[in-house]
Amino acid sequence: MLRLQCIQLAHAGREGHLNGALSCLDVLLALYCCWLRVTPEDPYSQDRDRLIFSKGHACLALYTVLADQGFIPREWLAHYAQNDSPLPSHPCTHALSILEWSSGSLGHGLNVGTGMAYAMKLEGKASRIVVLLSDGECNEGSTWEAAMFAAAQGLDNVLAIVDYNGIQSVGRTDSLTGFTSFEKKFLAFGWQVKTVDGHQFSDILGALEHVPLETGKPTAIIANTVAGKGVSFMENQVLWHYRVPSVEDVKLATEELSPVSPPLFQEAGQ
Amino acid sequence: MRKAFADTLQCVASTDHKLVFVTGDLGFGVFDRFEATFGSRYVNVGVAEAQMIGFAAGMAKEGWHPVTYSIASFATARPFEQIRYCVSYPSLPVTLVGAGRGLTYSTSGISHHALDDIALMTALPHMTVVIPADPIEVEALFPQVRALPGPAYFTVGRFGEPRCEGVEEPVLGRLRLIANGERVAIICAGEILQEVMCARELLLAEGLTPVIFHNHTIKPLDTARLNEVADQVQSILVVEEHLPHGGLWGAMAEWMIQRPSGIPMKRLGPPEAFCFGNLTIEEARNRMGYDAKGIAAACHVLWKS
Repeated sequence: MLRLQCIQLAHAGREGHLNGALSCLDVLLALYCCWLRVTPEDPYSQDRDRLIFSKGHACLALYTVLADQGFIPREWLAHYAQNDSPLPSHPCTHALSILEWSSGSLGHGLNVGTGMAYAMKLEGKASRIVVLLSDGECNEGSTWEAAMFAAAQGLDNVLAIVDYNGIQSVGRTDSLTGFTSFEKKFLAFGWQVKTVDGHQFSDILGALEHVPLETGKPTAIIANTVAGKGVSFMENQVLWHYRVPSVEDVKLATEELSPVSPPLFQEAGQ
Repeated sequence: MRKAFADTLQCVASTDHKLVFVTGDLGFGVFDRFEATFGSRYVNVGVAEAQMIGFAAGMAKEGWHPVTYSIASFATARPFEQIRYCVSYPSLPVTLVGAGRGLTYSTSGISHHALDDIALMTALPHMTVVIPADPIEVEALFPQVRALPGPAYFTVGRFGEPRCEGVEEPVLGRLRLIANGERVAIICAGEILQEVMCARELLLAEGLTPVIFHNHTIKPLDTARLNEVADQVQSILVVEEHLPHGGLWGAMAEWMIQRPSGIPMKRLGPPEAFCFGNLTIEEARNRMGYDAKGIAAACHVLWKS
């Protein structure tokens, strides 16, 4: 149960960011399970698809999915956010070399992704570049510089997925961006766009199946998601962007999420 | 220097098939031949410096050798976080070219002055910082800089600067002897070498013969050669077109303080201020005391002391 793992790890590692981790978990799982052409056996293959996890603060989702899919040993999760861990509180390629890119500072992933995508085109490779963006990250002007460029260059090997959970660090995305539509913005920038329910695998996979949505254009998938998805007292609460869950929070979440496997490790301090 | 750079870039790109040139919508006409020859290895990202750097980093991650190009202030200060986070942190071989650093664009206003670029770029781990003085150094040093395995900041002036034949050829990382002399060493970085050489003429007329060095590679600093120089002269005059902190003076002060024994060292250059007044570069250098006359006068004082 990956959601519960995220909550347990956030507690043990004393690092929060559960809102954004729980909101993008299903999209990430769908990508790794069913769409990305990359395998644990050959994670550096030249022909692999590249995923840039641009919303680095939500890396609990990335780490749990990577462990679940066999890209990293499951035992490593217990070292999350510890000294010298391969799994620091923001993803770092120096710590975990199978990552395509380090992240933590927002508004870089799509720019870098366009560089990788352009390189793929020059080299005649079929690899696709997926950039998972947070909705808050789309506040950054640099994201739109990249959006403009990707369309101008016809980079149809770029897929941007916006985890539209509606909640940022201390505010709500819609009110901070003047209640403007992601779909319309990407369309205006020359992309093809599909909006999906980011918690329905069938919906996510249905959209992924048709990527690129139009030859010669980059694709954006707007994933409508719920911040803190799956835990009643976390869902749609700005508080849980940063908050580290207490022992009691973990217990309540465990009851709600009904784990099918035992906890990864003992409670901190025991 | 701009033409020397375009020609050298063209030459390097003909053998380095991974070189891509990425401009932030600058260099009108200068790189037409490059675009005509190399097609999709020429990329204009538009007036989007963050994109210029992020894009270059992504290409470098895939094994390409991007050379980014903009006016020095927009090449460094504007996308500083992109350079720090996407280029310096992963130590990717991106060559950041800044055109018209210092007060080259003095009459274009504060926006176009790059008096802090060296401080910004030397602050970053893995970054090599090279400030050529003339077309000769551009031609000699750019291929060496492009071949580095990590990131570098490289500047080019504008058009038509004189070629300054020195005693030694330019070698990356090596303090370059321009003119032999004694007693006082004048060490400078960048196109200000022209003023230094004019000052030398004034000084020679007085019978004063300072030794002239050009320190094109500010990071890593050639401390071994500097130690040799410091052992042979009585004082050093540092001339830079940069703010007092973090430029050549800053680097040399850090070096000097670590020596077992120091020698007198004086700086000429702009004060810590924005350069107002829409001044020509000649007038700005004159008012701030680091034109040829100012350099000669300061050297004179050191020589007599």
